[in-house]
Amino acid sequence: MLDFFQSLSDGVLFGSTYALIGIGFTLVFGVMHKLNLSYAAASVGGAYCGLLVLQVFAGAPPVVVFFCAFLAGGLLGWLVYLTCFHFIPISNPLATLMATVGMLLLIDEIIVHLTAGMPVGYPAMFDDVMLRMGEFTVRGDLLMVFAVSMLCMGGLLALLYKTRLGLATRAVSQQTVAALLCGIRVGQVNAMTFVITGLLGGIAGAMIGASVGTLSPLLTTPLTTKGLIVTVIGGLGSVPGAIIAGLLVGGFENVLQQYRGVTERDLYVMLLLFVFLVFRPGGLFAPKGGRD
Amino acid sequence: MDFYFGLAQIIGVHTLIGLSAYIVLLTGQVSLAQAGFFAVGAYVAGMLTVLAGWAILPALAASAVLGAVVACAVGFPALRVKGLMLVIVTLAFGEGVRLFFFNFDYQVAKGGVKLGPLGSEGFRQIRYFPENGWTTMDVMLFIWVFVTLAMALLWWFDRSRYGAVLRAVGEDELAAQSVGLNLTAVKVSAMTIGGAIAGLGGGIYAHYTTHIEHASFGILLATFALAYPILGGLGSVFGTLLAAMFVQGFLVEGLRFLGDWRNLLFGALIVLAMNVRPKGFLDAPTLLGLKRLFGGKSGAA
Amino acid sequence: MKQIAVAVSLAFAAVGTTGALAQEKTIKIAGFGAKSGVVRSFGVNSEAAMLAAADQINKAGGIKLADGSKAKIKIDYYDDRCTAEEGISVARRMAGTDALVGVGPTCSNVAEPLFGILQKKVDDKSDSGMQFPIFSDVAIKGGLARISEWSFRNVPNEMTMYSSLFYWLKTQHPTLKTVFGGVEEDFAHSRATWYVVMKDRAIANGYTVAGESKWLLADTNFATQVREMKKANADIVAISAHPFSTCGVLKEMQRQGVKPKLLVGLTSTSSLETMQGCAKQAEGMMIPTSFAPVNKEATAAANATAKFKGSADLHSMAAWENMFILKQVMESENLSGNAKDLASDRRKVRDGLAKLKVTKGLLGDTKRTDDREADKPYLFVQAKSGNWVVLHNPL
Repeated sequence: MLDFFQSLSDGVLFGSTYALIGIGFTLVFGVMHKLNLSYAAASVGGAYCGLLVLQVFAGAPPVVVFFCAFLAGGLLGWLVYLTCFHFIPISNPLATLMATVGMLLLIDEIIVHLTAGMPVGYPAMFDDVMLRMGEFTVRGDLLMVFAVSMLCMGGLLALLYKTRLGLATRAVSQQTVAALLCGIRVGQVNAMTFVITGLLGGIAGAMIGASVGTLSPLLTTPLTTKGLIVTVIGGLGSVPGAIIAGLLVGGFENVLQQYRGVTERDLYVMLLLFVFLVFRPGGLFAPKGGRD
Repeated sequence: MDFYFGLAQIIGVHTLIGLSAYIVLLTGQVSLAQAGFFAVGAYVAGMLTVLAGWAILPALAASAVLGAVVACAVGFPALRVKGLMLVIVTLAFGEGVRLFFFNFDYQVAKGGVKLGPLGSEGFRQIRYFPENGWTTMDVMLFIWVFVTLAMALLWWFDRSRYGAVLRAVGEDELAAQSVGLNLTAVKVSAMTIGGAIAGLGGGIYAHYTTHIEHASFGILLATFALAYPILGGLGSVFGTLLAAMFVQGFLVEGLRFLGDWRNLLFGALIVLAMNVRPKGFLDAPTLLGLKRLFGGKSGAA
Repeated sequence: MKQIAVAVSLAFAAVGTTGALAQEKTIKIAGFGAKSGVVRSFGVNSEAAMLAAADQINKAGGIKLADGSKAKIKIDYYDDRCTAEEGISVARRMAGTDALVGVGPTCSNVAEPLFGILQKKVDDKSDSGMQFPIFSDVAIKGGLARISEWSFRNVPNEMTMYSSLFYWLKTQHPTLKTVFGGVEEDFAHSRATWYVVMKDRAIANGYTVAGESKWLLADTNFATQVREMKKANADIVAISAHPFSTCGVLKEMQRQGVKPKLLVGLTSTSSLETMQGCAKQAEGMMIPTSFAPVNKEATAAANATAKFKGSADLHSMAAWENMFILKQVMESENLSGNAKDLASDRRKVRDGLAKLKVTKGLLGDTKRTDDREADKPYLFVQAKSGNWVVLHNPL
């Protein structure tokens, strides 16, 4: 029984990294009804950029690295918007989808060229803290990641529901044409959405780097898959849904890994997705309807 | 010369997997499951020629049939959802197939050597072509017979009522339904034909690479299956062919002289292509222009 | 439409730039391996080692041909992106140039399909496989050269190395009894090395296997696996995984306070990658490897490679050795070096390689086996403060 709870808690805490990636996918989807497949790659890219600080100031504390990853993520988000969304007509979802695939490959390859593809150590906070309750342990650094993702969600919800920018964003996501008629600059709102998700992605990448301890371009594909699954299970467009689904998938896969082994683990995650599609096709928090 | 024949083999097989995604895309469905059907075809054909000693043609026929059956079976439940949900469901299915072969062991001793799929170590020695003395050119011609057939079939569809039905569903499901089209039948039939073409492509792939493993049939291949018709444009089957030539012939092999820049340009040029030609290389105006150029009957399509 | 026309014509123009006629006599050797993706460092290092070796051979006069003249070596290096299709394509491209032999590839999953398209048995008229000798430097998964008589490898024999390592450990630490294995399950090489080599050799040397845990190449969370490891409380932990997941596991072991008495790693992990990812956690890890700069020759080779911006490890130094082995073969087989004798020269290189019983390596003599594999000299290295230092030389 202890094994079960231990795997569950490890998985759930680790799931907060999936949740962070899921938020990014879901936000872009909520606002633009498009898929940004380069998101996980850009997030990891942002985390790599954070490391540049260490090149300049060798002894910079991890918080500084994380903050730079955050900023770099925002910049990358804007670049992705510019290259994959800005110039492509809105009526052409396939073209943007493919453009973001191109961007994913490009970001991966840039990382590979700058690091020769080798894994790079990433700084972490509280990585030597281990909370113990008898045999049961909780990783301190994962608790921090968990706290950060909760903070991000809180900040994001505040941004969406308490600011004018949030109002405009929600307006665009619900009725683009009506928003346009009300004088909202849809292009600007879309770009801002990308910057915001990019900032989040930078944090997500840094948190992933911190919790794994190493960064590698190997991370991008699994994160993309898991992030997408989390988005669907949470309900496309729902931020709290992505968080809860992230934790759920993290816990679920780790428990199954414990009992069914690593080779079958991901198969069950896919099955979980199908179960959701059959019994709750809208995900945990189905959006109330809108376009599409 | 063998190098060009080999490249033509690769372009041919990639055209096939592109065509399998093309017909599904015509109905407005974005499927990332094509790599899964491709994998099924590859393993089936490989096992039939190596373990059961079948000839290549019946083995390929079997892989096409099995690809179609799997696609049809997946099509019914999966096509209940659409849009981005479908993208992710099919992605999950494709990954599921890959993970199945990752866990799949079936080895038989043949002439003192154990042959057959062995989990993550893959399935080696699918050497039907070299063992039977086929030259690279023979294999290329063989592959292109199938590519031509598949293209001709889809081209003919485009000119028949069935093609119009497919596109009608792709353009506006509600309108299509209201004129009495059975959406499920149309979508599942497109998926099934796509599955057959992908299965066939996979069967050929297994034989020209001689070794297959689960990792070759991942998300990257699924994305490329989609990339060909999207890059090429949905206006014509030739778009997919053109895109397969662009990616495999130009981006992969043609840019080799650029050394390290080749890999960086790979992604960048895809981004650029989508910005410059969001409707693909062969979009409607280009096709019309081409028709005028060659003096064909305009408006025949 | 114009773009397409330009693109297509460019493609054909670019594809067509193969096989230029050599003015003065040169011998072309083609190298290939991964220079993109996560294994990029392998390709970069092998290319540097080949260029450095060719430079050294050329400075010493080059290769003596049958007519007594000397030819210079020229290296072309191709990126195969570590995929089967591109590897095959690159091999066909090499065979289409005047290259005499190919040195590569990086990935076992490229070597396997590539050796499959080669002719299985020489002189078998019914087999239309490619007739081009390939001499591998990196792809290490056991028994690959058996696939074709045109394929040769100069990679360490893991069976011998781990057998010797476990034997030596037994003599050094007679009190240690149990081994726990960690295996990267979805990568052909690491998987085969644990199940077929490490596990088998540990048992053969009197150890008890206390358990094994599995993970995937790109996994990020190793809590469960390390917990199993902790429970087993084995004396020795043997990890058969590549640097990225090895580092992840080592870091998790540190968190959970798992401190085995000895730590054993996978041959290919004894590289710079591991040190960059987790030098602190890898401290004390023991790995058998076929290269370390332990003598004058090996140090010189490493320095020469560094001049071409590559680092010397067991993989790139195999490429270095391959160049000198090829030189020896080419000179003893009386190559003509003329374009018209390309096919027969390639055959001579193949036959020469097949004839070799022993080759000179950086660490000493390498025995060649009948199935075209090498039995390379090896030594044990250990991670010490961010470097791999030699622990023991069993030979």
